[in-house]
Amino acid sequence: MLHKLTRRTLMKGVAAAGLTGALGGKAAMATDEPLGITLVIPSPVGDVGWGHALAAGLEPVKAAYGDKVKVTVIENIPEGPDADRIMNKTVSDGNNFLIAGSFGYQNGALQIARRNPAVTVLHASGYQVAPNFSPFAAKYFQGTYLLGMAAAALSKTGKLGSVSAFAIPELITSINAFTLGAQAVNPDVEVSVVWVNSWFDPAKEQEAAKALMAQKCDVIFSNAQDTPSVISACEEAGVYAFNLNSSMKKYAPKTYLGCVATDWSPFFKASVDAHVADTFKGANAFLGVSDTVVEVVDWNPGIPADVMTRIKEIEAKIADGSFSPFTGPITKADGSEGVAAGATLTDGEIVAMDWHVKGVATPLPK
Amino acid sequence: MNAIEFILAGMLAAATPFLLAALGEMVVERAGVLNLGVEGLMAFGAVLAFITVYHGGGHLLGFVAAGLGSAVLSLVFAVSALGFRANQVATGLAMGILGQGLSALFGKSYESLTVKGVPKLALPWLSEIPLVGRLFTQDVVVWLSLAATLAIWVMFAYTKVGLVIRAIGENPKAAHAIGHSVIAVRFAAVAFGGTMAGFAGAYAAVVYTPLWADGMIAGRGWIAIALVVFGTWLTGRIFLGACLFGAVSLMGLAAQATGLDVPSQVLASLPYLVTIIVLGVISADRRLLKLNGVASLGEPFER
Repeated sequence: MLHKLTRRTLMKGVAAAGLTGALGGKAAMATDEPLGITLVIPSPVGDVGWGHALAAGLEPVKAAYGDKVKVTVIENIPEGPDADRIMNKTVSDGNNFLIAGSFGYQNGALQIARRNPAVTVLHASGYQVAPNFSPFAAKYFQGTYLLGMAAAALSKTGKLGSVSAFAIPELITSINAFTLGAQAVNPDVEVSVVWVNSWFDPAKEQEAAKALMAQKCDVIFSNAQDTPSVISACEEAGVYAFNLNSSMKKYAPKTYLGCVATDWSPFFKASVDAHVADTFKGANAFLGVSDTVVEVVDWNPGIPADVMTRIKEIEAKIADGSFSPFTGPITKADGSEGVAAGATLTDGEIVAMDWHVKGVATPLPK
Repeated sequence: MNAIEFILAGMLAAATPFLLAALGEMVVERAGVLNLGVEGLMAFGAVLAFITVYHGGGHLLGFVAAGLGSAVLSLVFAVSALGFRANQVATGLAMGILGQGLSALFGKSYESLTVKGVPKLALPWLSEIPLVGRLFTQDVVVWLSLAATLAIWVMFAYTKVGLVIRAIGENPKAAHAIGHSVIAVRFAAVAFGGTMAGFAGAYAAVVYTPLWADGMIAGRGWIAIALVVFGTWLTGRIFLGACLFGAVSLMGLAAQATGLDVPSQVLASLPYLVTIIVLGVISADRRLLKLNGVASLGEPFER
């Protein structure tokens, strides 16, 4: 009896889910149903970090639309079949706006977009594009270049370090721009990199930071860490540090150099606007300072005034497009030519960067 | 500080979470019980310690909370695996998943917060030796862990308690026949293992990396279990394995920082390779392995 009952209930549930799925999309928009926006991320939201930045980017959307949107954040979803199942579920529940917050969600999210033309999907750090599917990424390198200038001005040893997650182009470009920015202030500066080969292992990240300090690095770039592991170890040791995405100044009140903050709200807001107006067109969104997505905040007050003036000048030039960190001549770490004099890397070349500039002391893992 | 000093200074601290958890698991396995939930026990201990310290309870109370909490959680495993003779592998895994879930739940509102660590204690005389002296400046938990290692070694080598635990692991029926309570000793062993795993988690969350982040144990419980097997259930070898693992992982990071031209993926896998090879070589004698192995490991006891 119990068995039958469960089964019948289950069948009903399945039928209901199917119905919503079929009627979802435009039908939901036609009525006064609120637009369901779901954000799926691989890490916990927390007070800081990548997940926090994405979730915070949805706040202005909530503020603008009020009751007309219903935002759900699903955190801690590992990349893989689990993520596909959860994204499918949320879409079949009638949520027509999906933000897939990690590179590894790409294939599952793209399939959902193809099967559900009425659904709009934004996907973090990917490269695939479809009419209702936009990948998005931040031009962190514009900010790390500026922080490189500050780092070189403050470093006494001329050695800078970076604790980095995985050797993928996004992280490599950040390190390269950091190095180039530092060289603009002190041409002899050297950058050491420790790849921890993990997106998330606070203990190992802290060990890596200490390994860099042991090599006399006195400014450390916490590259793609979601916790203050590196930042707080640096404060303890009296070493300058900075990170990406959201400010961790409260973990290092004295030695916090600054933060390459990302504010996704202009992009999220514009995409939701387009979805509601039915004018959304999938495109590769590679956003930076001029899109007000990337901004360096919480500058350390100890940065010398003349360097700060130069930083602000460069920042303004990056914003109006008259300066790119990746304008030649740039030499690769192996001594060959990276960018010819006068040439500037295109966005496409930047997202595919697989070499380090001269001045990065650690060879790139192959 | 150069790379060698960095490794010497950090090796023991890096080894401590592995050492504590592995020693606890060794006692559990010596009594004939296989508890695969170490990872979850560590995570649970870590979050309890963090919450206690965060609210001003102090590090000592943090460790007490972690030890007690993980011991209680490990009794969930003991009741079903020993009391109801459920499959130990499945029950241990389930309890581990429960521990990880609970740690995420309790830690939800503490995500990425930090606390103060504990100061380091330098041993007089020894810490002043050049180079090697770095080894002798450690936090108090490291010193206590070394003392615990010694105590456990003495227990198994020289005391009756150690002999009883071994007898129960080797041949529970015979131990029962001469009047030892197999189930009671196994319960105690599991609770001890839980306490040690809780301490290991506490060390990770309030001393080594004084912050809370869901998933911060990052597989260390599994490495601890592997260390027990590769250390062939012997205290000295497990200590050696834990130190080796700690040292080689720091070596990998130091090598990268100095710009050595070895792919970082290779360096990241070195701790596993080196530990397996070294412990594999010293325990290559199959006869000895059989002698040290626990005969009734994982088998439920029925009178």
